Amino acid sequence: MLSDNELLRYSRHLLLEEVSEAGQHKLKNAKVLIIGMGGLGSPAALYLAAAGIGHLVLNDFDDIEVSNLQRQITYQNSDIGESKVEVTKQRLQQLNPDIKVRSINKQMPEQQLSMELTMADLVLDCTDNMATRQMINKACVDAKVPLIVGAAIRLEGQLMFFDHSQAESPCYHCLFPSSEEQTLNCSNAGIIGPVVGTIGTLQALEAIKYFVGLPSGIKNKLKLFDGKTLDWQTFAINKDTQCSVCGQV
Amino acid sequence: MKIQVNEQALTLPNSMNIEQLLSHLEKPLIGSAVAVNMQVISRSEWTQYNINEGDNISLFQAIAGG
Repeated sequence: MLSDNELLRYSRHLLLEEVSEAGQHKLKNAKVLIIGMGGLGSPAALYLAAAGIGHLVLNDFDDIEVSNLQRQITYQNSDIGESKVEVTKQRLQQLNPDIKVRSINKQMPEQQLSMELTMADLVLDCTDNMATRQMINKACVDAKVPLIVGAAIRLEGQLMFFDHSQAESPCYHCLFPSSEEQTLNCSNAGIIGPVVGTIGTLQALEAIKYFVGLPSGIKNKLKLFDGKTLDWQTFAINKDTQCSVCGQV
Repeated sequence: MKIQVNEQALTLPNSMNIEQLLSHLEKPLIGSAVAVNMQVISRSEWTQYNINEGDNISLFQAIAGG
């Protein structure tokens, strides 16, 4: 049963047959790990907290810098120097006191990440470097935890969803097999705030859809977003049977 | 052989596989992803996958920012 307060708070969800009270319960019971509290993680965490995801775990190891404020919309000027996860946790609890938020203010080693995944229903990869992305992918494949990946630089975004609870699912490594790739990031290539915000927002949308039981439009697909034209391209990803992460089933 | 690469028409001098196409276009092998007719082709298949007349090839880079 939802409380009277919850019925009011989530009334715009409850009007939707795609969510309804049953779906809101599923959101309340959901446990989501968000890794990276930057330009992707900011809107994703705000939307998931607002939507009533019952358990959010936030992971980052950075403090807030003035150059973050151009796009990382959870933070304010007075937060400079504070921990990203601690500030985000506080904001999310102010936004929605009904949910539980836990913060991990460190770069998680593989073992700790694997332990966290035993408690997570879904992971959002909102990180900013290839090595961490590969580590998260492998841990999610091993733990069979679904993973929604977002990435953005300049005016370009990438979005994909791998449901690792399904053995036949491809993985991030099938698409991008090297962790040593010279990849561009926001610090060296630049980024426009709403581009990374669009991708983070859609990670949150896909998470909500996953829990209420709506099919994903990006499962086993890569969506490329062009912020100049607002065009989207959609590519199918098959499992690479030679993949060193998910290929040996 | 006429193909499209990132929506630009291109004529190839001879038949080639994906890895040869990237070399022909002087694109780096590392960090690139390739889709043929909107289907991503895994890197492990690049030397076996021969490009066909009329194929619509998409080349893009991994991005990691967030």
